Amino acid sequence: MATLNAHGLAVTPPAGWDAEIFTRDRDPRILTPQGIEEVVPPIAHIANFGLPPVRGDFGGGAVELMESGAVFIALLEHDASEAGTALFQGKGIPWPLSPDDFDPNNLQRGIGGQAGCQRFFLAQGRPFCLYVVIGSYRLRTTLVRQVNAVLAGITIA
Amino acid sequence: MTVLVVLLAVVVALLAVLVIGLLRSHAEILRRLHELGAGIYDGEEGTTVEPSTAGVRTPVELRTRPGVPEPRSTEGIVATDAHDIAGITPTGSAAMAGVVGAGHTTLLAFLSSGCGTCADFWRAFGDGAGTRLPGRDTRLVIVTKGPEAESVSAVEALAPPGVTTIMSTDAYTDYSVPANPYFILVDGPSGRIYGEGAAASWQQVATLLGQAAADAGYSADGSPLQRSAPEGRMTGPERAARADADLLAAGIGPGHPSLYPDELVGGPDAALPQSGPEPGSEG
Repeated sequence: MATLNAHGLAVTPPAGWDAEIFTRDRDPRILTPQGIEEVVPPIAHIANFGLPPVRGDFGGGAVELMESGAVFIALLEHDASEAGTALFQGKGIPWPLSPDDFDPNNLQRGIGGQAGCQRFFLAQGRPFCLYVVIGSYRLRTTLVRQVNAVLAGITIA
Repeated sequence: MTVLVVLLAVVVALLAVLVIGLLRSHAEILRRLHELGAGIYDGEEGTTVEPSTAGVRTPVELRTRPGVPEPRSTEGIVATDAHDIAGITPTGSAAMAGVVGAGHTTLLAFLSSGCGTCADFWRAFGDGAGTRLPGRDTRLVIVTKGPEAESVSAVEALAPPGVTTIMSTDAYTDYSVPANPYFILVDGPSGRIYGEGAAASWQQVATLLGQAAADAGYSADGSPLQRSAPEGRMTGPERAARADADLLAAGIGPGHPSLYPDELVGGPDAALPQSGPEPGSEG
């Protein structure tokens, strides 16, 4: 198993899985309320199916391709200035996840049969959002086991 | 009379020289044919042919078409195993494409930004040829060498938006790729390499893939081809038609309530929840 390492994130997906650690291109038209250019922190996508090259931060364009046994994991870092906000404060690494953490209503975009889980947390002082989609709510016990195996191999520097 | 005898002797001598020359020429022809493996005594009982003298003894140089890499050595084929592809994308992201253990077949296209023959493939993939591959759920992954051997900006300009493109010199080493362009078809579930080789155009590759897919019972769009069943047995559509006929005979047709149960066979617990927790404020 190879390890991907970039932007202070390291992931070691199982054989046959796709993964990518990337940052979006900065869009100069997007400004923060303070009038400064947006920050584009790193994003990690890990999936047990072929990730399409063009997809959204939360897997738009990829989750539509998921079959019942598919798993999609997105780890999105937020701007460091958000680390002190209530959204992240006091929340540590959320894995391992439980099958009960997944629900069809937790999806960013509802797709029949799928279920999702979203957690916000701090690791090494860096604020992150973990978003996981499984292809089948009924198979959540089996699929969450795969999810936890992958999450256990993530290292945040 | 003496003159006549002398002339006759000269003619006989000339004819003798001519016959000897013809016999030597014939012997030379037979010797060359024997070298080529067409000896007139081959296969006859009591004759033996030394292996070292049979066949072509002069080295013959076989070459592929200009721009197409030559086949790798036998040792290379034996040594090749399938591997996942890890490297960077042309936009600089760290990326990995699952190949071994994946639920699909992967066509690895090893290309270069500077190779003339590769231009046809970049163009074909840019036109969408790579998005509809023959076979069951075949995924195209373009692989180039890493930034130390390739121009990142050139690869980024050539990389089709809808096709996974990874720059990885390690992949070239792992798969013992002899040159560009080169194609390797890997079966994900088994991790076996179905086939590999070079081609001069995408059309050639597509034709070979189509034939392989048809042999495996799949059409170009990945759907199973209708195959004839063994004698005395029904095909899939025939079995479906028989099931439909049996259901109709029992009074169960399209729209029958029994086809839309309120509960699944496993009981209410097996059904999808009709209601669940509201999405958290975080979602």
